[in-house]
Amino acid sequence: MLKVLGQPASINVRKVLWACDEIGIAYEREDWGGATRPTSDPAFLALNPNGLVPVVIDDGLVLRESNTIIRYLANKHGRDDLLPQSAATRAQVEMWMDWQATEFNSSWRYAVQALVRKNPNFQDSDQIDASIKSWAKHVQILDRQLATTGAFVAGSEFSAADIPMGLSVNRWFMTPLDHPTFEAVAAYYERLSHRPAFMKHGRNGVA
Amino acid sequence: MLKIYGRATSYNVQKVMWLVAELGLPHQRIDVGGKFGGLDTPEFLAMNPNGKIPVIDDGGVIVWESNAIVRYLAAKYSLGQWCPADAGQRAQADQWMTWASGELHAGVIGVFWNFFRTKEANRDWALIRTCEQKCVTEYALLERRLTSQPHLSGDHLTMGDIPAAGTLYRYFTMDIQRPNLPNVEAWYQRLSQRPAYREHVMVPYAELKDTL
Ligand SMILES: N[C@@H](CCC(=O)N[C@@H](CS)C(=O)NCC(=O)O)C(=O)O
Ligand SMILES: N[C@@H](CCC(=O)N[C@@H](CS)C(=O)NCC(=O)O)C(=O)O
Repeated sequence: MLKVLGQPASINVRKVLWACDEIGIAYEREDWGGATRPTSDPAFLALNPNGLVPVVIDDGLVLRESNTIIRYLANKHGRDDLLPQSAATRAQVEMWMDWQATEFNSSWRYAVQALVRKNPNFQDSDQIDASIKSWAKHVQILDRQLATTGAFVAGSEFSAADIPMGLSVNRWFMTPLDHPTFEAVAAYYERLSHRPAFMKHGRNGVA
Repeated sequence: MLKIYGRATSYNVQKVMWLVAELGLPHQRIDVGGKFGGLDTPEFLAMNPNGKIPVIDDGGVIVWESNAIVRYLAAKYSLGQWCPADAGQRAQADQWMTWASGELHAGVIGVFWNFFRTKEANRDWALIRTCEQKCVTEYALLERRLTSQPHLSGDHLTMGDIPAAGTLYRYFTMDIQRPNLPNVEAWYQRLSQRPAYREHVMVPYAELKDTL
């Protein structure tokens, strides 16, 4: 059975759990990271020398990096609807996933440390403002894309890109800040909420 | 014909150009970004709403985000070689790419921006030291991986090697402190025998010095 290593409050672990439920994969989860078992444990570092969760073990194959894991699971289970086999349509899904990982994710880092984690080392008000501004700029890019597709990130149907993006949108709404109005993003949040796996692992009260 | 938008001195453009050359794809590269500008025009933003390079237009298929472009080109033009056909091997290549553009990138491109590109008066030395230390941690992972095999992916280069290998020219030519990394250095030497790597990754970057 697929083994998922990582505690369930981690946003990157939640991506994998949502993907598993969306695809219908049975898994066994072990707590690692956060306030649970420390990832600095040599047994964990042997699996991921970066000491980050999630890690999955599938029949001896050890994989890390949440977006990579989502793509692997969709590909292995032949879920063309989530990750198309055709290179051109697949790339439309993958580029939004990569954008989430490299660009979107970097924008919120300071604000989340300050406003969600209440980390005393992240309380510089200029930096908080700059992070919120950059975060909102990225949400606006997403808003325009959603206004164009009218439904989901990569088109009219749900795809693997909606997993990292859905969690990112949940984090946006769950973070205490003055939210500018983005209508397409708000509608998207409601649209995703029809999916039980999103309610369980995404919109579950955790930022 | 395949069009690649982006200046030749951009690390993220270099990943794409290196693969394009390895695959021998007929193409045209268009200079935008940096001193060329052009990333905030309505035409460019219509292709990439994120306003960054690289972007490709492959017969009407528009792709942005360098790693997504590399995976697309490898899957479309080189399935079974640059893109492994086996799902597990493909995922491992994907994992090295994602790791390199997150963790390794934070170290080496962090040093490049905060040290090399930033004028002395504006440098934040605590931040530069943090990035240097991140390099030590992350290149150590490469060093270990390369103990038993010539490339990250095994005996042959695949898309999984591109983002990490693409950082080596800058890492080994910047005037910074580096730990001893014999395997990584030997890898860099082997890669620099490849014409495509020499032409598209080993691109002098002096013009970017002290520009921030
Ligand atoms: N790029 C990685 C990032 C993983 C990551 O940052 N994980 C965090 C939790 S969200 C972590 O492991 N932090 C250390 C800890 O929880 O102990 C991915 O997408 O999987
Ligand atoms: N995550 C993006 C990052 C792209 C990026 O940051 N590109 C830089 C160049 S390396 C850029 O567009 N800079 C603006 C400029 O060159 O003017 C990717 O991998 O493609």
